Amino acid sequence: MIVQVLGLFARRLLVAIPILFVVSALVFVVLRVLPVDPAAMSMPPNATKAEIEMKRQEMGLDRPLPEQYAIWLDKTVKGDLGSSIHFRRAVSSLIAETLPATVELALLAMLIAAALGFAGGLLLFHLRGTWRGEAADLGSTVLMSAPDFLWGLLFILAFGVLWPLLPFTGRLASSFARPVHTGFLLLDTLIEGRPDMFLDVVKHMLLPATALGLAFSVPIMRVLRSSLYEIDHADYIRQARLRGVSEGRILLRHALKNAVLPTLTLMGVQFGFLFGGTLLIEVIYSYPGLGNLMVDAVRNADLPIIQAVALAYAAVVLIINMIVDGLYLVLNPRLRTV
Amino acid sequence: MRKRPMRKELSFLRSGRVTAGAILVGIVLICALFAPLLAPHDPQEQNLITTLTPPAWSTGGDPTYLLGTDSLGRDVLSRLLYGARVAMTVAVAASLGAMLIGATLAHLAGYFGGKVDWLIGRAVDVWMSFPPVVLSLVLMTGLGAGISSVILAIVLVDWTRFCRVLRAEVLVTRRQDYVAAARLVGFSHWRTLTREILPATMPLLITLFSIEMGIAVIVEAILSFVGMSVGANQSAWGQMIADARQTIYESGWNLVLPMLAIFVTVLGFNLLGDGLRRTLDPRLAQAREL
Repeated sequence: MIVQVLGLFARRLLVAIPILFVVSALVFVVLRVLPVDPAAMSMPPNATKAEIEMKRQEMGLDRPLPEQYAIWLDKTVKGDLGSSIHFRRAVSSLIAETLPATVELALLAMLIAAALGFAGGLLLFHLRGTWRGEAADLGSTVLMSAPDFLWGLLFILAFGVLWPLLPFTGRLASSFARPVHTGFLLLDTLIEGRPDMFLDVVKHMLLPATALGLAFSVPIMRVLRSSLYEIDHADYIRQARLRGVSEGRILLRHALKNAVLPTLTLMGVQFGFLFGGTLLIEVIYSYPGLGNLMVDAVRNADLPIIQAVALAYAAVVLIINMIVDGLYLVLNPRLRTV
Repeated sequence: MRKRPMRKELSFLRSGRVTAGAILVGIVLICALFAPLLAPHDPQEQNLITTLTPPAWSTGGDPTYLLGTDSLGRDVLSRLLYGARVAMTVAVAASLGAMLIGATLAHLAGYFGGKVDWLIGRAVDVWMSFPPVVLSLVLMTGLGAGISSVILAIVLVDWTRFCRVLRAEVLVTRRQDYVAAARLVGFSHWRTLTREILPATMPLLITLFSIEMGIAVIVEAILSFVGMSVGANQSAWGQMIADARQTIYESGWNLVLPMLAIFVTVLGFNLLGDGLRRTLDPRLAQAREL
């Protein structure tokens, strides 16, 4: 089975790499039609025209677009993402700092989305055909109309301002010295052996992760509910019912196992969207991740960062899709036969 | 536990969705169309003496400012009404554009298959590898701030939503006998597509369109929240939220009201879409009769 999963990864990589090329070219072209001049922006305001022109040549902006792209691609493949115009630092180090924060947040949010989604899906199915079921169904449509950032703002107002229960800015209280090992604070605080710090990190992540998780749990609920619906008519479920197996046992032991696969596929797609959703949640919670870096870069027209961060998002989404497909292969025995 | 069959009287909860959604969307649309008539104040008029007034019904409220004022003393109600204009303009224009591109490509891909399908499929793959928010931010950087850029960005990002779902539907429809019959009778490709296939995919198209309008409202709010949509001389809901965030400790209302406006609008579109899907989809209608 491991061979099969590795084979799948290899095949997916063959697809993912050209996609990344096209993605990078696309971003490159879009950003080059920009009305602002990155050379002029990186110079002090009193720079002369000649000085700006020199900078343009130095940055390679005077060359034709395909050549510029080739140079950029060559550097990127070698791991040199250029340096930020605004922060005056290497883009690769900025991304290395922020990416773990975002991944950590997205993972926790996905966990919350999965937990809520499964609980909600089972509940919706359990209540099917009753007026409560109809009400719950309507409730899920209502829930779906509140996007993640509205939940985020509502949580800040409710649990941060009106009823100050949890912190809502940053990743860690400023009284703690930030440990630097992997960049994943949940991991780093454990490496340091500081449960108090770990708890503080969790507290900081709780509101943004729940806001994201809640918004993404609704589609999971609905798909789980409808695949349970379909399976409910399967022969083996009727058989079980005829044998007098209790409804609860049928649901948990027989139906859920088979209904989980379509739900998992959806969760893979959802995780990609959720990863994008971190962007605004990070801005709202001043959480120092990729999203905040991106929005800052957009505001400053900091092209090297925008390019690199957009590529980082795309790369993560492709990796997520790959992992989900691998997981699907592991969990679905029907796909495993040669 | 035995399930009680759903009573007939309660089935309105299902068809009622369309009505409820249409009413909500209708209200927002009226607000948008008649904002200049309905708004009690100029939405840009600042009054630095009466800043952050709470809504009229709470203590310290001023009846001339029904929903209170913001941090610059601007009337919140008027700003909300004018914000509806921006939201609805973007929702209608962007969804139409995304639908036109997405549906056309989906029909071409599903109908002709082969190379056309491969090419369009790969384009969708590339687009889907971007989180939508990230792609729209990149596009906005290239296009520059402004409401027309917002519309264009949403069209360029969200056509894939139509394309993916509709392509599958076209594939199914294409294999129907009546489509083959139409070709045998001598219908051209164009005529087969528009007369035979399009009517079959229409219900899904309408549903997707309604849902997309809700998404467009959200995206516009996001982009105006980060300051990339309308300019400072116009009001948009996302921008109001961004402003209110600065004074969250002084006034929660300023934050809640535009949030509520976004929520109600999106709910309206979602109810409409969900209800239409249930009433227009013959498979679902059949399942209900069983």
